[in-house]
Amino acid sequence: MAHKRSVLTPTLIVIVGFLTVCPVVMLVFGSFSTGLGAFGEFTLDKYVQAYADPELTGIIANTIIFVLGSSMVATALALLLAYLNTRTDIPFKFLFRIISIIPMMIPHILFSVSWVLLLNPSNGLINLMLRQIPGFEDIAINIYSLPGMILVEGLLDLPIAYLILAPALASFDIALEESSKVCGSTTLRTLFRVTLPVLRPAILAAFILSLVRSLASFAVPSVIGMPGRIYVLATHIYQSIATGFAADFGKAAAIGMSVLATSITLIYIYRYLTSASEKYVTISSRGYRPTVIELKGAKYPLFGVVGLLSAVLIVLPVLVLFYTSLVPYSMIPSAKAFSMMSWKHWIEVINDPISLLSLKNSVFLGVVGATLGVTLSIFVAYAIVKIRSHASGILESFSFLSFSFPGIVIGVGFMWFFVRTPLYATIWALLIGYIATYLPYGVRPLTSAFIQVHSHLEESSLVCGASAFTTMRRIVIPLLIPGIVSGWILMATMFVRELTLSVVLSRPGTEVLAVQIFRFSEDGLWGQLSALGIMMIFISTALVLLATFIGIKFKPLEEGG
Amino acid sequence: MEIHIRNVSKHYYSGGKTIKALDNVDLTIPANQIFTLLGPSGCGKTTLLRCIVGLESPDSGEIEIGGEVVWSRDKNIFVPTENRGLGMVFQTYAIWPHMNVFDNVAYPLQTRKIARDEIRRKVDKTLRFVQLEGFEKRPATKLSGGQQQRVALARALVAEPKVILFDEPLSNLDAKLREETREELRAFLTDLQITAVYVTHDRIEALALSTIVAVMNKGRIIEKGPPRDIYFNASHRFVADFIGRTNLIEAKVTAQEGPVTTVDCALGRVACRKQAAMGPGDDVTLCLRPEFIRLKRGNATQSQNVFNGKIRSLVFIGEAYEGEITVHDAPLFIKVEPDSKIEVGDSVNFTVDPENCLLVTR
Repeated sequence: MAHKRSVLTPTLIVIVGFLTVCPVVMLVFGSFSTGLGAFGEFTLDKYVQAYADPELTGIIANTIIFVLGSSMVATALALLLAYLNTRTDIPFKFLFRIISIIPMMIPHILFSVSWVLLLNPSNGLINLMLRQIPGFEDIAINIYSLPGMILVEGLLDLPIAYLILAPALASFDIALEESSKVCGSTTLRTLFRVTLPVLRPAILAAFILSLVRSLASFAVPSVIGMPGRIYVLATHIYQSIATGFAADFGKAAAIGMSVLATSITLIYIYRYLTSASEKYVTISSRGYRPTVIELKGAKYPLFGVVGLLSAVLIVLPVLVLFYTSLVPYSMIPSAKAFSMMSWKHWIEVINDPISLLSLKNSVFLGVVGATLGVTLSIFVAYAIVKIRSHASGILESFSFLSFSFPGIVIGVGFMWFFVRTPLYATIWALLIGYIATYLPYGVRPLTSAFIQVHSHLEESSLVCGASAFTTMRRIVIPLLIPGIVSGWILMATMFVRELTLSVVLSRPGTEVLAVQIFRFSEDGLWGQLSALGIMMIFISTALVLLATFIGIKFKPLEEGG
Repeated sequence: MEIHIRNVSKHYYSGGKTIKALDNVDLTIPANQIFTLLGPSGCGKTTLLRCIVGLESPDSGEIEIGGEVVWSRDKNIFVPTENRGLGMVFQTYAIWPHMNVFDNVAYPLQTRKIARDEIRRKVDKTLRFVQLEGFEKRPATKLSGGQQQRVALARALVAEPKVILFDEPLSNLDAKLREETREELRAFLTDLQITAVYVTHDRIEALALSTIVAVMNKGRIIEKGPPRDIYFNASHRFVADFIGRTNLIEAKVTAQEGPVTTVDCALGRVACRKQAAMGPGDDVTLCLRPEFIRLKRGNATQSQNVFNGKIRSLVFIGEAYEGEITVHDAPLFIKVEPDSKIEVGDSVNFTVDPENCLLVTR
């Protein structure tokens, strides 16, 4: 037993270390090389080239405005929603759960596209509708702008910020507020003097995670920013490897270095904050329900805001895409539009070999990738939680590192690596890249699952006469199933919709759904894009349902009485 | 079944330091007794229990259960936990949350490949014994703390082991339930005629439950014996202090005459029960339990073992007053009946029987 364990952790460190450190190292070397073919000859040319570019200043300014703006939108909205849900008597609270989970199933690129369909200045549906109103004939609300990008990215990062803030608010010890009221403060004063300051670490953590996500974001900058000629660092990197006559991976790596460094710094600040916030936010173990604040007159207007948000986040994108997939060209919903509806775009997509290949590839990556990823996560989580040696601490840091990876930058790093191996341009290159980038999404749920399996539960099975194998089969695995299922769902949905890494690594023959959709949007083929997009949402949803079903089936007993 | 523990040692390495969890422990646990390992946290009692059940291995020594050596470094014997055939109740109960009460209790029988109706019969019998009949189909996690505790006990008993081990099984219950469960447990174990090894840091639990108490500190067994012996007749200062509230006073032996050893201490000259091992000039500790200090009002004339003092403080705790008196500036912890009229500042006197003045090594 002791022998087996001593081999496990180092093996995992090698595997996870390869997955997370390798692309970073290759990125560093790549940035000091002249090109993919001339690796290892040290040169500073690419840095000079990249950072002497006069356009860079504007791009960095755009990036800062975009990243800060969207994170503020996301955090403020998430805080409002979390507060309303946990602390007030707002009706229909089930909506909040939906808001926090469903958007994960709608790929970012489709969400961005649906906003383009609604608000592009020439024939966006909302613009077309507004122009029908007398006096507004010349209106053209332009989504292809920085505020447009900030709005869409803010909405996309809202769920993740909510998932951090909601538990923090729920575990908030109400006595802190009550004592403030006893001291004579009003509800509003208590909110600003006690509640928000105590929650500060959680709010900052949500904000910083949003920063990391929007810095890494590629869907919004590419679909909304590029047509409006607004470039941020992610699209700037993409430009140097995907447009022009020669892809310049050296320059991409040189710019990527500073994006990665920023991102890693932010994620370590985040980690520091979340470990500190455990000290800060006091959790009452008394199973005590916080008193609910009555909203009175504000109840229904506030609910209207929440309802509108959930419509905008979930219903609208799907509806717009489905509508667009049926009509021949952009037109406002009318009798004429309905008479012209057909399955034309759907049939085109089904007859398009590349779209079909991308469907097949994405399903393969989702199912096989998530299965391999979760298997690796099980071992990693086991080593982190149950072995708890110095080595498993290193393992934890490694597996956490990829949280900070901006897909496009790490894609460039992997490119430098894969080009030297037979894996280049195969689906396995994508698979390895996916697992490396999204490993924390598998490790997280499994770590908490392992923490729940108290060592006494295993030990008492041994005392009862069960062998180590029986203990594994009858005690440990059944208790882990919920963690395995949620890890699998998270990874599979991430893989099916993956864009940023794929846009770098995908080659002819290894197209995936999100990349194909991105190509459609570059070509303005909105109808086909929408048809393929709806199929993509359908596949994600099917995978989630399948995993949930299997999870329920293999769970021997859940609370009955 | 008897358990022999011979020269068992175990070390931990923590933060570059070596911690002796077990320091050459030599112990015989007699068959069919309730044997308690009592000690402060970190004294090694749980480690010893886990070595007996096989969840941890000592560094050296030998462990024998019912005539079979289950662990020996020299003979290279290690019988794994699952083959030792013991029962154990964990501090957290370790009830499996994904199983109902029946499956939890039936588990040890299922691993022993016993026929289905035999399992049902035995589980029914055991659940009746712990007064949980009718709970078979309940999810185990939906039970109260006391009921979960009984499920854990039923699971430990169902395969009829010859030895059952308890690792602080009452520490997760609230005070009132703890007292009730303690009484139940005592009744169950007395009925069963089983060797029980019980680990606790609670002295009342140890005194109330056990037939033999072994007091541990820093990885060593300091003293063992029946509860009354340990309480009234400890020979170590640590044991006397740990087993109950007491006044410990530094003293020097002045004489040994007949049944009495006389010492000088802060209270003055005190006649104590004779301790043969002590001679004049020895530095010792006088152990004077508060229940033997019976206060009377006013001052008394000086004579043997009569002391005058003054009440310093009194706190009403329900069944009594607790407080402090000073005798020649030496503070003494005392207990007074709740209906007493004594007040702070009063002069008091008390007499102690030399029989109740215990001398222990310093």
